[in-house]
Amino acid sequence: MSPLTTLWVLPLAGAGACLLAGRLGRGAARLCALAAAASFLAAALLALLPCLAAGGAAVFAEGGRTWAFGISYRLAADGLSLSLIALTAFLTLVCVAASWTLDVSAGYWACFLALASAATGVFLARDLFLFYVFWEATLVPMFFLIGLWGSENRRRAAVKFFLFTFAGSLLMLLALLALVTARHAASGEWTWDLESLKGTPLGPAAPWVFLGLLLGFGVKIPIVPLHSWLADAHTEAPAAGSVMLAGVMLKMGLYGLLRVSFPLMPGLTAAWAPTLAALAAVNAIYGALCAMAQADLKRLIAYSSIAHMGFCLFGAASGTSQGLAGSALQMINHGLTTGALFLLVGFLYQRAHRRGLSDFGELAVRAPWLSFFFGFATLASIGLPGLNGFVGEFLCLAGIARSAPPVFAAAGVLGVTLSAAYALPAYQAVFWAPAGPGSASAFVADLDAREKAILWLLCGLMLWIGLAPAGWVAFLEPSLRGLVR
Amino acid sequence: MSHVAVPLEAWLLFAAPVAALLIGFFLMRPLAPEKTHWPILLSCAVVTAASLSLAGQVLAGRSFDVNVWRWAAVEGWGVDFGLRVDGPGAAVLAMVAVVGSLIHLYAAGYMKGDPGFSRFFLVFHLFFLAMIGLLTANNYVQLYLFWELVGLASYLLVGHWFHKASARRAALQAFLVNRVGDFGFLLALLLLLARYKVARFHLLYLLVAAGRHEMLPVIAGLLIWAACAKSAQWPLYFWLPDAMEGPTPTSALMHAATMVTAGVFLLVRSWPLIAAVPGLPVVVAWIGAFTALAAALIAGTRKDLKRILAYSTVSHLGLMMLALGLGRVGAAIFHLVVHGFFKAALFLCAGNVAHALRQPTASVDEVGGWGRAMPLTYASFVVAALSLAGVWPLAGFFSKDAIVDAAWERGGLLAAAALLVCAGSAFYIFRMLLLTFHGARPEQKGLAAHPHEAGPGLAAPPLFLALGAAAAGALGPTGSRLVFSGLRGLPVGRLGGDLVLNLPGDPALPAFSWTTALLSAAFAAAGAAAAYRLTMADPGWDWRWRGGRAEAVLASDFGWTTLMARLAAAVAALAGFVGRVLDRAWWDGLLESGAAAARGAGGLAARAADGRLNDYLWWMTAGAAVLLAGALR
Repeated sequence: MSPLTTLWVLPLAGAGACLLAGRLGRGAARLCALAAAASFLAAALLALLPCLAAGGAAVFAEGGRTWAFGISYRLAADGLSLSLIALTAFLTLVCVAASWTLDVSAGYWACFLALASAATGVFLARDLFLFYVFWEATLVPMFFLIGLWGSENRRRAAVKFFLFTFAGSLLMLLALLALVTARHAASGEWTWDLESLKGTPLGPAAPWVFLGLLLGFGVKIPIVPLHSWLADAHTEAPAAGSVMLAGVMLKMGLYGLLRVSFPLMPGLTAAWAPTLAALAAVNAIYGALCAMAQADLKRLIAYSSIAHMGFCLFGAASGTSQGLAGSALQMINHGLTTGALFLLVGFLYQRAHRRGLSDFGELAVRAPWLSFFFGFATLASIGLPGLNGFVGEFLCLAGIARSAPPVFAAAGVLGVTLSAAYALPAYQAVFWAPAGPGSASAFVADLDAREKAILWLLCGLMLWIGLAPAGWVAFLEPSLRGLVR
Repeated sequence: MSHVAVPLEAWLLFAAPVAALLIGFFLMRPLAPEKTHWPILLSCAVVTAASLSLAGQVLAGRSFDVNVWRWAAVEGWGVDFGLRVDGPGAAVLAMVAVVGSLIHLYAAGYMKGDPGFSRFFLVFHLFFLAMIGLLTANNYVQLYLFWELVGLASYLLVGHWFHKASARRAALQAFLVNRVGDFGFLLALLLLLARYKVARFHLLYLLVAAGRHEMLPVIAGLLIWAACAKSAQWPLYFWLPDAMEGPTPTSALMHAATMVTAGVFLLVRSWPLIAAVPGLPVVVAWIGAFTALAAALIAGTRKDLKRILAYSTVSHLGLMMLALGLGRVGAAIFHLVVHGFFKAALFLCAGNVAHALRQPTASVDEVGGWGRAMPLTYASFVVAALSLAGVWPLAGFFSKDAIVDAAWERGGLLAAAALLVCAGSAFYIFRMLLLTFHGARPEQKGLAAHPHEAGPGLAAPPLFLALGAAAAGALGPTGSRLVFSGLRGLPVGRLGGDLVLNLPGDPALPAFSWTTALLSAAFAAAGAAAAYRLTMADPGWDWRWRGGRAEAVLASDFGWTTLMARLAAAVAALAGFVGRVLDRAWWDGLLESGAAAARGAGGLAARAADGRLNDYLWWMTAGAAVLLAGALR
């Protein structure tokens, strides 16, 4: 099997193996999941190596046969795809390791691996039908993760998540169908190949196709006001599910914009850039303001995700090489930082079964490592220079400052300013303030060795990207160069 | 192409603190937390030696500005990190190293037995490291990095005793107000990079000198805004007096060496940019003069020892801004250095007084006539206070004189403000001195406190600092040579060619002038006399005037802090409206009611999900297998 196919088949095979191993017992399924996640990560890093050697520019392509209606099995990978796949693999392993002590059935582990497989497919597919199939396939395992292993209101959140994202996907499908039909009308040839569809004459339908794609991807990113599903889904999902949701699924939306929308319709992208930048500004500020008003840690982090994705959108909208590189890097950063925060809240929830800001207190004294890592990730999330979040935000905003009037950069910087106003009061309430009567702090034991190891890994990466981002940027930038222009 | 070798000392500036922090965090903290300060004190010694040696080298004409590593680069647009050791940097660095190390030494005694001793020392040293990095940065991005790190460390230190609600509030306020200032810095940084493509100071100076002025008024204005937050100038000064909630060594370090001086230093670094905008320097001068005068007035009415000193810092930073605004970069740095010495000494003395009361801080109502009981602390305080008041021949006289001279030359209201600040400074510091160490007042008789001298670990550092505050004036000519050496003919590594660079404005300290010396001495004497009259000759005055409308006005800093609190409440209310009403009740509610029908279908889906998960996953796997078969056939 060729290397790129292996990348998405491997975790899926792992999911199947988990289900089989589940018949032997829960421990066997867990072990199987760990092995599958580890080998997936190894495969992802191995696939990354030749691309690294080529300075991120190399594009590995695999073309298969073509089916009816021009649907073809066509995969390709460049620096952007491979980085996101490596992130997916890394987070999958982190999720498996973080859920190690949960008493769950084989299906739980299989869902993570199936999700990883589908997301990998999204990042690899270069045939739009294939892209759509993988895109929809991510919904199913995530739906079950939320609906079966979530907290109190899981059913409602799962259904809401499904309906919102499914509606978005349908709009995307309609747009893709319009595109493919237009192509057929123009050249008499059916094709879903991304490369061949470039330059398809769409006529007056063009803005509608662009809008359809924007709405489809925008639900996932999510762009305000399409974000309503996010807070509920994040809040009710199990901790590791939130990690995948934030770390992988939100990235698919922005990846779709960069990979599909922008190259297919460069003219419209340029024309819509100010609108996109305005939407980014709304995301950054609206997300921060909403986060300030939350009383639940998970909801707060969910809204902060909206703000962070606003920065990614700024970078993408700028169309400059700084902005695009920043946007791609910020996707990775957000996966690491927000992933770490969701994990930590998950550890808290596992211990105390609560996650309200006022449910805790004094944790800095009771659980110093938990509070250290939470503080570290919080600082990365609010863009402290020297950590990863700053690099991404900085590059995105540097891009928008170059390509747009200063007011957009100012809005972005305002978002950075506000981030401290939601993150630090929350940190103080949980870790510094005295534990009130009825506080759950007494149940919170400090992190154990496994949990610490996971967080050292995540925080180490945050520090690495923050201090020496040059290599990361240089790796991502070549694949972005061709996307807009 | 002149390639400059970076001297070992410059590496040690970073290597020593980083090593000390790593050892402290990974070895001392788990194994012997009460000894965390040992590697850190060692690092202080190394840093002090290294920075003094660097100052000597700069004085001998060996300044340098080199790029060390590429931080991030995209398509021919890159940000390099490097080291710039030149006159202003080395001068401030030498002060920061000496004063900072003495405060570290003091903290080792002061914080002994605190449950958070090890955490305190690690953050304390991080603070120190951040300031070193700030002073040696060669571009705006790097400066911003350390600028933020300074802010973080101060946040953690102000909130060190986080079990106190007031400490949490003060820490948050300090960080958020500084973030409001950082808005200006970050935006200025982005605009600089967007318009000028570089962030390196030196290249920017050259571009601006060559006539490139794109958006310069906006950029320079934003930088001034940032400096107003960090250096506690109106309108953003109010976080500093509240930041007293941290342990005393924190206050000493923040006020003297590591935090508030960063804003002034930013403006020193940006001065060629600001000076290129007509009319902008005067704005800086006015901000400085206004802040200096108002803060001096408020300082004269406060009762808490540390709060008096905090407003005094705000006032003196205002004087530095005034000097900068009048183009006297050298005078501003000279006063910054001297202020570092006397302010650190004063804070440590206040700490010793509070220590004797076993309190984190002390009010003038709780003390009185303590001079006899604490001779060493008393002596240090007197010397530092006289220096602050600008009494000849102490250092404060020379540094303040340079500023008064600038203002006098300018004339008008700025000159009047500078002289009034002299009077005000003398008044508040003599009031504090007399109330604390001299005559006991009638309402204090019942107090049961037993004043005593602190141990040598606490008494010695302020003594050394006071010595510095007395003698630093002798450095005047050398100091001004240091500040301005290295700015001419500075070699720039990897840039090629020697470059001639002058900071605009008066390059040297002004010659001694009898007019300003006598004038400022007269005003200071008037202030001191007033303080004596109102504390010693009429001891009841200090509490008699309180309780009226005047106190209410002064307690809220002429209403400014009330206004700021309302502004913060308004932002919080907006966030509450957006997050709870607009987003949750209205928008989410609308979508959910619209989807009520769909929810029935959703219920169906959820029921299907109950036990048939494995089936779904099997289907997925099977589907994938078909796909795969098609692909591989």
